[in-house]
Amino acid sequence: MIEREGGYGRGWTAVVLLLMTGAVLLTASHSFLAMRVDPPIYPGPGVTHVVALSDYFEGLIGTPADTAVYILEGSEPGGTALVLGGTHANEPASSLTAITLIENAQVTRGRLIVIPRANHSAFTCTEPQEGYPQTYTIETPAGPREFRYGSRGTNPIDQWPDPVIYVNAAGQSLAGSEVRNLNRSYPGSPSGNLTEQVAYAIVKLIRQEDIDISIDLHEASPEYPVINAIVAHEDALNIAAEAAMFLEFEGMQIGVERSPANLRGLSHREWGDATDTLALLVEAPNPAQGRLRGQTTAKLIVEGIDPYYVRAAQRGLLYVPFSAEGHPIDERVGRHLQTVATLLDVYNSYTNDDIVVAGIPTLSAVLEQGLGAFLAPPSGPESGL
Amino acid sequence: MSSPYAEMVPILLMIATFAAMTFAFKLPVSVSLVGAAILGALVAGQGVPLRHLVEGTLGYMDTLLIIATAMVFMRMIQASGLLDTIAHHLITGFESRPASLLVLMMLFAMSAGMITGSSTAAVLTTGAIVAPAFIALGISKNKTGAIIAMAGILGMIAPPVNIPVMIIGGGVDMPYIGFALPLLVLTLPLAVAIVLLLGLKSIRATTIDRSLLPPTYHRQYGWKLYLPLVILVVLIVLERALPSIVPSFGMPLVFMVCALVAPFTGRRMNPLVVARDAIRAALPVMGILAGVGMFLQIMALTGGRGFIVSLLVGLPLGLLYLSIGLSMPLFGAVSAYGSASILGVPFVLALLGTNEIIVASALSLVAAMGDLMPPTALAGLFAAKVVDQPNYTRVLKHCLIPALLTVGVSLGYIATADFWDRFLFWDNRLALYGILLAITAAVAVVILILDRWVIRHRVATGEAQS
Amino acid sequence: MTIIYQVITASVILLVGWNLFREKRLVEQMATALVLIPLILRVLMIK
Ligand SMILES: [Zn+2]
Repeated sequence: MIEREGGYGRGWTAVVLLLMTGAVLLTASHSFLAMRVDPPIYPGPGVTHVVALSDYFEGLIGTPADTAVYILEGSEPGGTALVLGGTHANEPASSLTAITLIENAQVTRGRLIVIPRANHSAFTCTEPQEGYPQTYTIETPAGPREFRYGSRGTNPIDQWPDPVIYVNAAGQSLAGSEVRNLNRSYPGSPSGNLTEQVAYAIVKLIRQEDIDISIDLHEASPEYPVINAIVAHEDALNIAAEAAMFLEFEGMQIGVERSPANLRGLSHREWGDATDTLALLVEAPNPAQGRLRGQTTAKLIVEGIDPYYVRAAQRGLLYVPFSAEGHPIDERVGRHLQTVATLLDVYNSYTNDDIVVAGIPTLSAVLEQGLGAFLAPPSGPESGL
Repeated sequence: MSSPYAEMVPILLMIATFAAMTFAFKLPVSVSLVGAAILGALVAGQGVPLRHLVEGTLGYMDTLLIIATAMVFMRMIQASGLLDTIAHHLITGFESRPASLLVLMMLFAMSAGMITGSSTAAVLTTGAIVAPAFIALGISKNKTGAIIAMAGILGMIAPPVNIPVMIIGGGVDMPYIGFALPLLVLTLPLAVAIVLLLGLKSIRATTIDRSLLPPTYHRQYGWKLYLPLVILVVLIVLERALPSIVPSFGMPLVFMVCALVAPFTGRRMNPLVVARDAIRAALPVMGILAGVGMFLQIMALTGGRGFIVSLLVGLPLGLLYLSIGLSMPLFGAVSAYGSASILGVPFVLALLGTNEIIVASALSLVAAMGDLMPPTALAGLFAAKVVDQPNYTRVLKHCLIPALLTVGVSLGYIATADFWDRFLFWDNRLALYGILLAITAAVAVVILILDRWVIRHRVATGEAQS
Repeated sequence: MTIIYQVITASVILLVGWNLFREKRLVEQMATALVLIPLILRVLMIK
């Protein structure tokens, strides 16, 4: 391209450059590989047993997609609920809500099954060109506890290459990169790619454990229309509407959306179509996911404060109010917890197979005391003593 | 809370550094991008974030492989004599129908983009095949480059595969359904208009010079010569037609297989040397992509990206059109796909209430114009390589008017979306197809009349000269 | 399919490396080394 600079390149400069590249690669690899280690989750008193997702589909054994399934069983028989966190590992309130349930909830009747890292592989990398931190910390009374900020899709290392067009098991054509999106892969397939196998295992779990009500937890960017909302399969629409009414009554704004029939492969559509479960999906606002966000830092993930979003809200570009206080993780997880509890309450009013869960922190409690107050200390429950 | 303008400093500095390094110090674009990224991170107080810099390059992993393998494939079929042979037969076969030939070759050049969804793949395959024919018709190297660059871009947007639309759809939960007709209506008339605009005058002014005609190797090697192209078409069509049965090979594998077959089908060559030189030709672009990846990652990290996006989507409606027309191609310099994702999604959301299919179709075409925007200018750059023009800005110069026309038409498409919403989604499909067919027939007749006009004009100039 | 793509990536790495040693301009050598970064990370299945 530029002839003026010619002449200084030699064999030895090539070797030096290769060595430098090697050094850069070593340093970066160290940081990439560090994300493959799971930070601990400490099962609370309500957890009766922990199984693996591969127990429902053995094709997942030994793969980076196998993930822990926490079962909280009450002493009295009743219905069964599933709470799915970490479908998208870049939506932290989703996984954190599941972890808070595992570490706090106690079931007296029925069963609560919680998967905190539904797409386990997605937690092992961050998305290129987004500038995300690899971890963020939540302050607990015993000190800061570290969590990973993952990516929306399965780690490409675990599933590569992407096709040009992805046609999912439900027949929907999508952009090729969606092939690693768990929430486009339902109902999954035992012979499909890794993500589809995870989807298949989850659907199989729903069938095998006879799940009555399934809640998929998510977050969305503040400029996205479906936010602060419950998306419900038509079978679950009245439960969602009633729960939303109760939540509004308690001062928590939340909308209800019907699962679109022509958007195939999503949990709220395929779980409801393929199984007997009541399928629901809940969204909270996460500015760290948005395209309008300013500096991408761990602080943004936890505090949810962003000046660009404040201005965007003033211009009417957002689908959620956005003030200088932002949407901190306490609020987002608190909303999810409160929504899960309310959905279960409403479900119980329609059935004799109750699912009675105590110890779910309320939105106001999380806002008052901070999420950290409901999380185990960084090195485990005993370490604080 | 920090001021929203704090994020402005690193991004402005990054742009200034990039400009200084490329233009004042004449450093390669890729190296300048790396320098700008590092400086931006430093100023934003991030130190030298090695992990971020490296991670940014990985965003283009698949694109890097497509570019590398497509380039190898193109050089292989060039070395085997296939490119020359096809050009020879195209020109001799259509000697009396030059205008029709122009239009047909334009559509053929688009076809690879239509099925792969990549302008680079189109320029380096079907574009490379017709380029010698355009040149032999009397169209200059640079104009030929412009034609195949535009063909690649329009092909990438034309159905059945339009990746930018899929990316936008992924961001707003819109299924990729019902796009075929709106995309055809948008791209086909533009394709015909652009090729006539760029080529008609040149073919009218010259008669075909037999000595300039590329040689044919058809007699020497027979049908074996066409094998790489046949395999390419078969593999791609199989993959698209039977997605549930045939595994997804992906473009790199398809190109690789065809490139490996090529050395045994025609002229003798040293495949290793051809492959090495092909990669050498692709290296500047690959370097730019790696550098752009770093630049983008630091932009997102420091908030520069958010600064730009929130500035653009917040404009009032009139300025919004201007902002789409300017910012999406500009941003497309980092890749049309990136522009579709980073700006296309917020723009669709900002235009909510207008027919989303029309809006997304038009936005995808505006974003695709980014493939003409330096420093990456993927379509222009590879088109320049195909026509052997070392300075790709000479090719881009001829793309300027077609690009402006395309952006104008796209914005018009959005502005008149209500009309298209009623017309293209008309319940009376029979009447709709009838009208579209009649328009197509009328255009075909005009092109046939143009054929005669060109021939007659040639005779006239010939007499005047004698 | 993943292994095939690793082989494709490895061959591209070899061709890029070959060009690195043939390149006579230092800045272009730097640009070439830059391209190796993502390719090597992927072929080793690190990122
Ligand atoms: Zn999500």
